[in-house]
Amino acid sequence: MTEESDILQIVEEDILRILGEEKSKRVSLESIKSEIKVAYLFISNAIKELEREGLVQSQGDFIVLTKEGFGKAENIVKRHLVLENYFKIKRTRSEREAHKMTDILEHYISKEVIEHIKKLSTFKTEGFPLTKLELNKEGIITDILFPDYGLFERIVSMGIVPSEKIKVMYKIPDGMVIYVGGKKFALGNDIAKGIEVLG
Amino acid sequence: MKLRIILVGQPNVGKSCLLNALVGPEVIVSNYPGTTVEVTTAEKTVAGEEIEFLDSPGIYSISDRSEEEKVAEKALFEEEIDGAIIIADSVSLERSLYLTFQVLEAEIPVVIALNFVESAEKKGIIIAHKKLSKILGAPVIPINPLTKRGMGELVNALLEIKETKGKTFTVRYDDHIEDAIMEVSSQVTRTQLPKRFVALRVLEEDADFYGYLSDTRTIKAVKEGLIEHPKVAEDIAITRYGTAAFISGKVTHLVHVEEAARSLDERLDGALLHSLGGPILTILTFVTIFGALLFIGSWIQDILTGFTEYLLSLIHLGVGFSGTALEAGLAGMMAGISIALPYVFIFYILFTLIEDAGLLSRYVVNLERFLRWFNLPGSAIIPLALGLGCTVPATRSTRILFTKKEKFFTAALLSCVPCSSRIAIIMGVVGYFGSKWLALSVFITLFVSFLVWGGIMKRITRIEKKPVLYELPELPPYRIPSIGNIVTKSWIRMKTFVYLVVPLLFLGGVAYAGLDTLGLTNVIVAPLSPITWWLDLPNVAIIPLVFGFLQKDLTGSMLLLVLGGKVSSVLAPLQIYTFGVAATIGIPCIIALGMFIKEFGFNKAVLLTAASILYGLLFAGLAWRLISLFCG
Repeated sequence: MTEESDILQIVEEDILRILGEEKSKRVSLESIKSEIKVAYLFISNAIKELEREGLVQSQGDFIVLTKEGFGKAENIVKRHLVLENYFKIKRTRSEREAHKMTDILEHYISKEVIEHIKKLSTFKTEGFPLTKLELNKEGIITDILFPDYGLFERIVSMGIVPSEKIKVMYKIPDGMVIYVGGKKFALGNDIAKGIEVLG
Repeated sequence: MKLRIILVGQPNVGKSCLLNALVGPEVIVSNYPGTTVEVTTAEKTVAGEEIEFLDSPGIYSISDRSEEEKVAEKALFEEEIDGAIIIADSVSLERSLYLTFQVLEAEIPVVIALNFVESAEKKGIIIAHKKLSKILGAPVIPINPLTKRGMGELVNALLEIKETKGKTFTVRYDDHIEDAIMEVSSQVTRTQLPKRFVALRVLEEDADFYGYLSDTRTIKAVKEGLIEHPKVAEDIAITRYGTAAFISGKVTHLVHVEEAARSLDERLDGALLHSLGGPILTILTFVTIFGALLFIGSWIQDILTGFTEYLLSLIHLGVGFSGTALEAGLAGMMAGISIALPYVFIFYILFTLIEDAGLLSRYVVNLERFLRWFNLPGSAIIPLALGLGCTVPATRSTRILFTKKEKFFTAALLSCVPCSSRIAIIMGVVGYFGSKWLALSVFITLFVSFLVWGGIMKRITRIEKKPVLYELPELPPYRIPSIGNIVTKSWIRMKTFVYLVVPLLFLGGVAYAGLDTLGLTNVIVAPLSPITWWLDLPNVAIIPLVFGFLQKDLTGSMLLLVLGGKVSSVLAPLQIYTFGVAATIGIPCIIALGMFIKEFGFNKAVLLTAASILYGLLFAGLAWRLISLFCG
């Protein structure tokens, strides 16, 4: 199991986000429970912890953001929107799908990556194939487009994933040597074409 | 009860090296993919408990796309195993965690061996292994197979491996996917495998698992119901990787390390992967290796030959058949050792050296392009490079290729790739008794024959040119090879020579003496005389060629026996050259034929072997005629 503190942290962030998304910054305990599907114990513990940090206040059955909580919640909401935007633009999903993918990923992604994605989603343009990335220039993977899931999974499991930094170190005939996540791989151009990047 | 433990990890992560450290030098450790295409096992007894280790090919994930993954998957799910050691790379922990999560999804108890801790620390990556262990619910042990760090702890953890069952970390997918998993798992029957795992494999489009569902129509229904995830397989992979990155981030502490302006690694790669310089350097390296081999080898051969003569002059085994036979056996054995041993042994040392230093994978990248001429995928270079050592394991490693035609074509090309025994014939016979230039001519002839043979096979197999998709070889960092590792590996590769070839050399000599005494040599020599006529060789020269097919290292020693040790006075230089060419083209020996039968079936194997030998004889005969035409 994940450490309890991890779950707590995730739940805390989710509560702040829900509060931040609400104009009145005031949400009933019931709607928090229905939106975050974890054991109630985690929710109540998370609220206790948030209260201790002075970010929220309980008012009967309602939770309200404090001034201190406001800033933090806003950041979380922004991050959420950036991700949602990314998935809407990049993977041409419906709003609902984008929302769901965002829910999973936001807790997994570091601040640095969020910055990248923010940059990506403000570009509003599509990435270009890795084959067109300049030599020795760092790019960010924006998408992996393969018709074949086998190849997709193989590439993802090697750490070639959207939002990861990538560099073309050498050109070799019909291919290239790339540097991603601390490792070097030789890659055929036919695979490289399916990896979209932004420079 | 014997404890059965499988070793799982990415390529180059040090699986075989760890196995070596655990049980001793029983397995070959390699720095490039394609060496372990089969599961090898080794045993060890600790505190009265027997542990059997299974070494699996390096994989990044459990799917069954490549041959390595198929073999590893089969070992994980079809063998009765008690648990797995996952060898994780500290430098890129998230990749290792991806694989770890897949194994945990299959509810296989695991112990994580954290390798390359020191090199990660040099890069400023520090991993809190105790924290990781707490998160995963499984032991995480920092190891170093070279210094044996962590070996005792690892073995102790293995003895308690079953205790971790059911307490380990599970990746949570989003609620729609979790609902779909629930729905599919309710349909899982007919298997011992965990239902959640089977459901995930099904959602990840692994058709092998569809059979475990009571109603396969569920798959379609569930997928159609998943409007939020039109590409559910991709979202599962992304979430799994995301979780891996998240956890790896939680346990990793980064320290800033001053990086050298341009490291030695980069300068080496700049030269070795240069589009023009790379291939030139590669070819130069091989020329240097062969040059060194020729000079150092002939020097050792000189010493050994002198020693042999001295030894044989001391022994008088008396008269009669048994005496003659024994003497012939000894002479054959000593001649064979002097001819083959220096070259085979030095070759393996040099080959292991460039392999362990991480150079071989760069050479492979540089040589790949030449295979496009034959419409072969670049990965075919791996069996061909292994073929310089021994044709038998090289044939087995053609399994890393994807289609039957590609496998057959690549294996057929091994006819013209000299294995170390054939290299020894060229150097120890042609180079030693002829001249070094003559040996070089044989190599050049062999290269031409390779191109022609490849052209013929291209026509026959009709492989279409296709996009270069499945090649993602990792280029490992350069490492300073450890002398212990090199000696161990060379010894393992040499072991067959000592245990199998040396007795065979002796028996070959005895057999020849037997045939000679009984006057039976003519039974072989006479009917095959058209061949020796075509090759312009003395009739008896067919004997080493025939014996050579039983065991390639017999070729040289038998030639010496039939010619009474006077190769250079009986044969003209051109004849030595022709003999060298005829002896080296073709599927080399009966053991290789056996491997061909195993891989491609009896008919194809025998046909190919016969055709390749005929081709070699034809080529050798044509070559000397052409040369004598021009050089008069």
